[in-house]
Amino acid sequence: MLDLVWLVPAFPLAGFLILTFGGRRLGEPTAGWLATGAMAGSFLATAGAFYDLAGRDVHDRRSVTTLFEWVPAGDLTVDVGFLADPLSLTMCLFVTGVGALIHLYSIGYMHGDADFRRFFAYLNLFAFAMLMLVLGDNLLLTFLGWEGVGACSYLLISFWFTDEANASAGKKAFITNRIGDWGFMLAIFMTFATFGTVAYVDVLDTTAAGTVATSTATFIALMLFVGAIGKSAQFPLFLWLPDAMAGPTPVSALIHAATMVTSGIYLLTRVNPIIADAADWVPTLIAWTGAGTALFAATIAVAQRDIKKVLAYSTISQLGYMFLAVGCGAYVAAVFHMITHAFFKALLFLGSGSVIHGMGGDQDMAHYGGLRRLMPVTAGTFVIGWLAIAGVPPFAGFWSKDEILAYAWNESPLLWAVGLVTAVLTAFYMTRLVILTFFGRHRYADPRPDEVEEAWASAIAVAEEAVVAAAALAAAVTASEAATDEPDVAEAVVAARAAHEAAVLERDGIVASAGERPELPALALYGAPDIGPVADRLPDQVATRSDHHPHESPWTMGLPLVVLAVLSVLGGLIQLPFSTATKRLEGWLEPTLFGNEVHLSVGTGTLWVLAAVAVAGGAVGILVAVAAYLQRRVDHRAFEQPILADAWRFDRLVSNFMGGPGRAGFEATANFDSTVVDGAVESVATMVKAEARLLRRFHNGLVRTYAAGVGVGAVGLVVWFLSRTSF
Amino acid sequence: MSPVVTPEVIWWALLPLLVLSVGGFLLLTIASLVRRLPEALPQAWTVVTGLIVLTATVPMWDRVQSDGPRSFLGGMVAVDGSTVLVTAILSIAVVATALLARPYLRREDLPGVELYVLLLMSAAGGVVMASADDLIVLFLGLEILSIAVYVMAALHLRRIESQEAALKYFVLGAFASAFLLYGMALIYGATGSTRMAHISGYLASTILVQDGMLLAGIALLLVGLAFKVAAVPFHAWTPDVYQGAPSPVVAWMAAGVKTAGFAAMLRVLVVTLGTHASDWRPAVAVLAAASMVVGAWVAVLQTDVKRMLAYSSIAHAGFILLGVQAASERGTAAVYVYLFVYTLLATGSFAVITTVGGRGDAAHGLDAYRGLARRQPVLAGAFTVLLLGQAGIPFTGGFVAKLGVLAAVVEGRTYWVAMVAMAAAAVAAFVYLRILVAMYLEAPESDTADRTEVPAGTRVVIGVACAGVLLIGLVPGFLLDIASDAVPVLVGG
Amino acid sequence: MAVLAAAADVPFAVLPALLVVPAAGALLVVVLPRRRPELLKLVAVATSMVVAAMTVWLVVAFDIDRGAEMQFEFRHSWIADLGIQWLLAVDGISLFLIVLTGILFPIALLAVDPGHDDRAYFAWMLLLEAGVIGVFCAMDLMVFFLCFEVVLVPMYFLIGRWGHGNSAYAATKFFLFTMAGSALMLIGILALAFLHADATGGGLTFDLVELAEAQSLGTTTARWVFLSFALAFAVKVPLFPLHTWLPDAHTEAPTAGSVILAGVLLKLGTYGFLRFGLYLFPEASHFFAPVFLTLGLVGIIYGAVVATMQRDLKRLVAYSSVAHLGFIVLGTFALNTEGIEGGLLQMVNHGVSTAALFLLVGMIYERRHTRQIDELGGLQKSAPVLAAVFTLVMLSSIGLPGLNGFVGEFLVLVGTFNAHRWLAIVATGGVILAALYLLWAYQRVFHGPAEGANAEMPDLKLREGLVLAPLLVLIVAMGVYPKPVIERMEPSVDALVAHIETHVDGFHEPTSRFGADIVVGEGGDDAGDDH
Repeated sequence: MLDLVWLVPAFPLAGFLILTFGGRRLGEPTAGWLATGAMAGSFLATAGAFYDLAGRDVHDRRSVTTLFEWVPAGDLTVDVGFLADPLSLTMCLFVTGVGALIHLYSIGYMHGDADFRRFFAYLNLFAFAMLMLVLGDNLLLTFLGWEGVGACSYLLISFWFTDEANASAGKKAFITNRIGDWGFMLAIFMTFATFGTVAYVDVLDTTAAGTVATSTATFIALMLFVGAIGKSAQFPLFLWLPDAMAGPTPVSALIHAATMVTSGIYLLTRVNPIIADAADWVPTLIAWTGAGTALFAATIAVAQRDIKKVLAYSTISQLGYMFLAVGCGAYVAAVFHMITHAFFKALLFLGSGSVIHGMGGDQDMAHYGGLRRLMPVTAGTFVIGWLAIAGVPPFAGFWSKDEILAYAWNESPLLWAVGLVTAVLTAFYMTRLVILTFFGRHRYADPRPDEVEEAWASAIAVAEEAVVAAAALAAAVTASEAATDEPDVAEAVVAARAAHEAAVLERDGIVASAGERPELPALALYGAPDIGPVADRLPDQVATRSDHHPHESPWTMGLPLVVLAVLSVLGGLIQLPFSTATKRLEGWLEPTLFGNEVHLSVGTGTLWVLAAVAVAGGAVGILVAVAAYLQRRVDHRAFEQPILADAWRFDRLVSNFMGGPGRAGFEATANFDSTVVDGAVESVATMVKAEARLLRRFHNGLVRTYAAGVGVGAVGLVVWFLSRTSF
Repeated sequence: MSPVVTPEVIWWALLPLLVLSVGGFLLLTIASLVRRLPEALPQAWTVVTGLIVLTATVPMWDRVQSDGPRSFLGGMVAVDGSTVLVTAILSIAVVATALLARPYLRREDLPGVELYVLLLMSAAGGVVMASADDLIVLFLGLEILSIAVYVMAALHLRRIESQEAALKYFVLGAFASAFLLYGMALIYGATGSTRMAHISGYLASTILVQDGMLLAGIALLLVGLAFKVAAVPFHAWTPDVYQGAPSPVVAWMAAGVKTAGFAAMLRVLVVTLGTHASDWRPAVAVLAAASMVVGAWVAVLQTDVKRMLAYSSIAHAGFILLGVQAASERGTAAVYVYLFVYTLLATGSFAVITTVGGRGDAAHGLDAYRGLARRQPVLAGAFTVLLLGQAGIPFTGGFVAKLGVLAAVVEGRTYWVAMVAMAAAAVAAFVYLRILVAMYLEAPESDTADRTEVPAGTRVVIGVACAGVLLIGLVPGFLLDIASDAVPVLVGG
Repeated sequence: MAVLAAAADVPFAVLPALLVVPAAGALLVVVLPRRRPELLKLVAVATSMVVAAMTVWLVVAFDIDRGAEMQFEFRHSWIADLGIQWLLAVDGISLFLIVLTGILFPIALLAVDPGHDDRAYFAWMLLLEAGVIGVFCAMDLMVFFLCFEVVLVPMYFLIGRWGHGNSAYAATKFFLFTMAGSALMLIGILALAFLHADATGGGLTFDLVELAEAQSLGTTTARWVFLSFALAFAVKVPLFPLHTWLPDAHTEAPTAGSVILAGVLLKLGTYGFLRFGLYLFPEASHFFAPVFLTLGLVGIIYGAVVATMQRDLKRLVAYSSVAHLGFIVLGTFALNTEGIEGGLLQMVNHGVSTAALFLLVGMIYERRHTRQIDELGGLQKSAPVLAAVFTLVMLSSIGLPGLNGFVGEFLVLVGTFNAHRWLAIVATGGVILAALYLLWAYQRVFHGPAEGANAEMPDLKLREGLVLAPLLVLIVAMGVYPKPVIERMEPSVDALVAHIETHVDGFHEPTSRFGADIVVGEGGDDAGDDH
C-alpha cells in the first residue's frame, strides 16, 4: 500500500483538473461533492498507507517512492518522490481528514455563490499542494508545496476579488510569505552546497551522524526558520494572517488555521537533526520567538470585535506555542498541539462561519448575543471548541498545551511563565467571544451608532425645512398686508410670525439635545441603547433587522461541526502523559526524531503542580471574562484598550512605511531611470548634434573659407611630412 | 647614326581611351553639323560608347591576366588589372549618367549634346589617370577629367546655383591642381624622374640623405589628390557643388571622379611611393578619420537630401581612404571593391534623387520624401535598399565594401582608425534612417502630392544598382577575386 | 518517434533549409497580390509552420549520445577571400533557442493582424525569423555577426510602421542603440581572426570552434577583444545601464513585435555571452565575471523596482524582462554547470512566459484600446478565462515551482550561490520583488469592481485560446518535467565549463563543496553574518 502513497496527492489533483476543465456541467452542488469525494479518497489512501506503515517494524517505518527525475542539472538531481514516514503520514491524516470535513462544510457555506466551481477547484489544488509539501521526499519538493499552498491561499483570500480589500489581503499574504521563502531558498542552496543533495533521507542521516559543521547547520536552520515564521505567521511576519480572514470562512479554517500555517512547524520538526547540530542560540531564538508571538497575539485577541479577527490572532498565538515547543526540543508536543489545534481551531472557525452565515455576513460580535437558542448545534459544538482551547481538562487542548508548558518549564521557568500568561489570556478572550456570541442579550436588532447618527441628522433636517417654510409663509403674508388694510390679514400676520418663532424654537431644541445626547457604546452590553426622541426616525434596516431571525445552518455544515467537536474532546487520547504506553504519538514519531526529542528532567510531582497551575490559570481567565461580559461586575472596556484593538499599531506602522518612504523610494528609482539613465542616452544624441553645428560653421558657402581649408590642410600635411625628414 | 626608335604602342590597351575620346569628338562634330539632330541620338551614342568600352574591358582583362601588365608609349602609359577594372567602373558610370541625363535634360528643357560630349571627355580623362605610368600623364588625365566636369556642373543655364557650383568647383579645383603640380615638380627634383617606375625603383635602391624635398612633394601631391576625392579638409566644395550641379552630373562626380581620383592615388602612393608608406600612412589615416567623422557628423543636421548624400559621400571617401592607408594588397583590393559598390550606390541614389527632385531640381528637402512609400512603394523600396547599402547593412554590397577596408585596417593594426570608422558608421546610419523615417513613418503634408513618373532610363539605372548591391551582398566572391587580381603594378621600361 | 529518429540519419541540410525557407517565404509574400491579405497571411503562417516543424524535427533527431559535439553541421565556403564560410551547426546550447524561435513565430503571426501593409509586414516577419535562426546556428563569427546585425532592419520596420504611439522614435532608438553597441564587435571579430592567423601562420578563418580551441590570443588582447564583444551583447540583453531602448521598443512595438523582441531577440545577447563570450574568451570572461555578475544583480533588483512603478502594462512587462535577463546573466557568469544551465533554461522559459504575457496584454489592448493600468480594473469579472490564463502565466513569471519559470531561476541561484554566496543571497531577494510588481499589477487590472467598458470587455475567443494553448502547455510541461530539455543541454554546458577550466589556470568550477568538512569556512562566514 505504501507504494501507492502517490494516490494521496493524486486524488485532489485529479479533482482540481476535472473541476477546471470540466466546464459548466459541474455546477452546484456537483462540483462540491466531487471535490469532497476527492478529499475523502485521499483520506482513505492515507489511512491505507498509515496502517501499512504501522504494521511495520519501528526502524523500518520509512519508505521513499520515486516517481520521476524532476531537475537533473549538473551535480544537482532532484526527484519527484514521496517520503512516507510516521511524521508525514500523521500530517497527511489530519490534513486530509480535516480537509475532507471542511470541503463538506463548504458545500453548504458556498451555497449560491456564482463561482462555486472555482472555489472547490482552488480548495482541491490547495490540498494537493499541501500534501506535496508534507509528502515530498526532498526540500525542493517541499518548497514546491510550500509555494503552491501560498499561491492557493492567495487565490482563495482574494476569492471575492471585486472587493479591493480582499484583493489586497491576498497580495499581502503572498508577498509576506515570499519574504519567508527567501530564507527557505537560501537554506536549500546551502543544503545542496553542503550535502550535494536535497533529499531528506540523505541529508538527515548525514546530519544525524553529526558530521556537519555547526556554522553550516546554523545557517540552514536559521534560514528554514525564516521560512517557517513566514508561513506560520510568527513575529514579525504574522501581519498577513489577520488580513487573510478576508477569504471565505472555510478557507480560514482549512488554510489559515488547521493546515497551511502549521507547515512551518512541520518543516522544523522534519529537519530536527539540523536544528540539533546548529548553534545553541538557534533553538533558544525559536522558543522565544514562539513564546513572544503567543503572548503578543493573545493580548491583541483580547480587544478584537470581529469574531474572525479574534480567531486569527488566537491562531497566531497557538502557533507560537508550537514554536515554543520546537524551540524546547519538544517536537512531539509540537506535533501533538498541531493536531489538537487543527481539530478545535477548525471547529471554532467553522462555528464562527456558521454564525456569520446565519447573521447574513455580519462579523461584528457587538451585533451578536444570545445566539445559543437560535443555533443550538453551532453553539453546542462551539462551546466544546472553547473548552478545548481554553485548556480545560479533559478536552484535547488541555493535554497538548499542558505538555508544551511542561517542556517550557524544563527549558526555563521564564518561558513557562510567558506560556502561562498566554494561557490565561487565551481562556479570557475565548470566553469573551463565546459570551458575546451565544449568551447575553440578542443585540442584532439594536440601532447602531451610525444609524442613530443618521436619525438625528434627518430630524434636524426636517426641523430646518419647517423653519424655512414658516419663514416663507410669514414673508408672503406680510407682503399681502402691505397691499390691503383689512384687520383679519393683520391677525394672519401675527399668527404666521408666531408659527415661525415656534419652528425656530423647536429646531434649536433638537439641535441642542443632539449636542448633549449620550455617546452610544460600540458594544451595547448593558441593554438596548436609549436613543431618545429620534426613535421614529431610525432608517428602515433597523426594523428589517429586528424581524430577521438568525437560523441554524444546513446539515452539510452541521455534521463537520459535530465530528470535529468529538475529535476536540477525544483528541488528547493519542498522547496521554501518564506512561510511555499512553504516549502513543511519541512512540510513533520516535523514528523521525533521531533521538533529538528532549526528555523532561522534572519530577512527576512538579508536573502535577504545573498542570494544576495551568488549569487554575485557565479558570481565572474564564471567570474574569464571565464577570466582565456576563455578570457585568467589571467594566469590560477596561480590557478593550484601543492600542490592543489596533494590534499595538505594528501593522499600521509597517503599512505606513511601505506606503510612505518605501513607495517614495521606488518612485525615485523609476524617475532616476527615465531622467538620468535615459537622459544620458539622449544627451549623447544632443552632443552629436552640437558638435555637428560646430563643424557646419566651416561650410558657410564662401570660397575663401574653403580655400583656407585647403591651405590649412596643405600646410598641415607639409609640416607633418617635413617632421619626418631625416636631417 | 643610330636608328630612331619609335616607342612601342599597344593599341588594344589604348582602345578604351580612343573609343571614348573619338566618340566624344564625333558626337560634337555631328551635333554641330547636322541641323535637326534626333533627340534620342546623343544619349544612345554615349550609352553605346560606354557599353563598347565596357565590353572591350573583358578581353583586355583576360589579356592582362594572361600576359601580365605592360608599360608602353615609352613607359608613359601602363595597362594592368587596375587600369582595366577602373576603366570598367568608369564606363558603367558613364552609361548610368547618360541614362539619367536625357530625362533630366528633357524635364529641364536644356540643350543636350554638350553634356554627353563632356561626359565622354572627362571619362577619357579618367581612363588616362587610371593608366598613367608617369606623373605628367597623370596630371594630364586629371585636368582633362576636371575641366570637363567644371563645365558640366554649370550646364543648368537657368539655375544660378548651378553656375555658382561650377565657379566654386573651378576655382578651388585649379587651386588644388597647382598643389598637385608643385608636388610632382618636387618629387621630380628629389628623384630625377617623373616616371613612376623610375621613381619607385630609385627610392627602392637608394637611401636619400636629405628626403625633405621628396616628402614635401608627397605632401603636396596628397593635397591635390585628396581634393579630387573630396577628403576633409579639402572637401568643403562638395556639398555646395553637389547641391548646385545638375543631379546626373552629381552622379558622375560621385561615381566617376572619385573612382579616377582613387585610382590615381593608389598608383602614386601605394605603388610608386610604397617605400615611404611609413611616412604617408599616418597622414592618410588622419585624412580618412577626419573625412568619416565630418562627413557623418555634419550630415546629421542636413534637411536637404542631396546635401546629406554629399556629406555621406565625404564619409565614404574617408572609408575608401582607409583602404589606401593600409598600403597593402588587401587594402588596394578593398578600395576597388568599395569603388565598384559605391559607383552602384551613388548612381542609384542620385537617380532616385533626380526623379524626386522634380522640375527645376528644387524638391530635395526631406519633405519631398514624406510618405513616398505610400505614393510610390517601389521607388521607396529601391531607395531603401540603396540607403541600407550606404549604411553598410549586412547582405548588401555596402557591408562587403566596408568589411573589406576594415579588414585591411585591422590587418594593418591601426585599430584607432577602425574604431573611428565604426563610430562614424553608427552616426551615418542615423542619417539614412532619417530618410527612411520620412519615407515610411511620416505622412506627406499634402496628400495631393502626385506620383512623379519614373523614366525608363532611370528605372534601368535604379534597378541595376539595387540588383547589383544585393547580388554583391549575397555572393561577393566574384568581385573580391577580380579586385584582388587588379592590384596595380609598375613595369620598368 | 523511431521513424523520425531514423529520418535524422538521412543527409538533409536542415539548417540551411531553416534559413532559406523563411527567406523564400518572404519573397513569395512580396510577389503575391497586395489585395489578398488572407492569402498573404496564409502563406506566411504556412511558412513559419514548416519552419516550426523542422525545428521540432531537430529536437527529435538531435542525438544525445553525441554529447557536446556539433550536430547537423553544414559547411560551405562563402567569401573565400576572407575565409568566411556558411558554417551552421547546432548543439545543446542553441538547440532549444532555435526551437523557441520556430514555435514563437507562427504564434506571433497567427495572434495578430498587422492592420495595414500586410504584404510588407509578413515579409519582414519572415526575414526576421530567418535572421534570428541564422544567429542561433551560425558557427562562423562573421556569419553570426551578419545575422546579428541584419535582424535590426526587419525589427526597425516592424516597430516603426506597425507600432503605436511614438513608434518612429522608438524604432530609431532601438536601431541606433543596438547598432552602435555591435559596431566594435566587428573590429573585435576581425582582430581575432587576423591575430589568430598570425599566431598559427594559417589563413584567415572565422570558424568559432577552431578559434576557441586554439586560444591563440594573448591575455590582455583577449580581454580587449572580449570587451568589444561584451558591449554588443550587453546592449542586446540589455544590461543595466544600457537598457533604456528596451521599454520604448517593447511598448511602441506591435504585439507580434513585442512577442518576438522579448521572446527571442533579447536572447541574442545572453546567447552571445554564452556562445562567444565564454567559449572564445574563457580567461577574459572569468576576469570580467565580477563586473557582469554585479550588473546582472543590479538588473534583477533595479528592473523589478522600476517595473513596480510603471503605469503602462506593456512597459511593466518590458522592465520585468530586464530583471529576468539579469538572472540569466548572473547564471552565465557563475561559470558553473548549474548556473549556465539555469541561464539557458531561463532563456527558453522567459521566452515562453513573456511571449504569453505580451500576447495577453495585446488582447486586452485590442479590447480596451488602452494599456494604462489605472484605466483598467475588475476584468476578472468580465473575462474570467482571460484572467485565469493571465494568472497562470503570471505565476510562471513569478517563478512558482511546478511552472517553467522556477526551474531556470532556481538553478541560476544555486549556481550563483556556489560561486558567490552573497550575490545569491541578494539576488534571491529579487524573487520577492517579482511577486510584488506582478501581483500588484494583476490586482489593479483584474481585481476590484469593474466599471464602464471594463465591465463589458469580451472574454477570450477560441482562436486566441488556441494561439495561447501551446505556450500554456509549455509553461506547465517545462515546469513539471524539464528533464528532456536539461539532458540535451547538459553535455554542451559541461563541455563549456570544462573548456573554461582548462584555459583559466587555477580556476575550478565553483560548485558544491560536498562533505561537511570543507564547509566549515563558508558556513561560518554566512551563518556568522546572517543575523
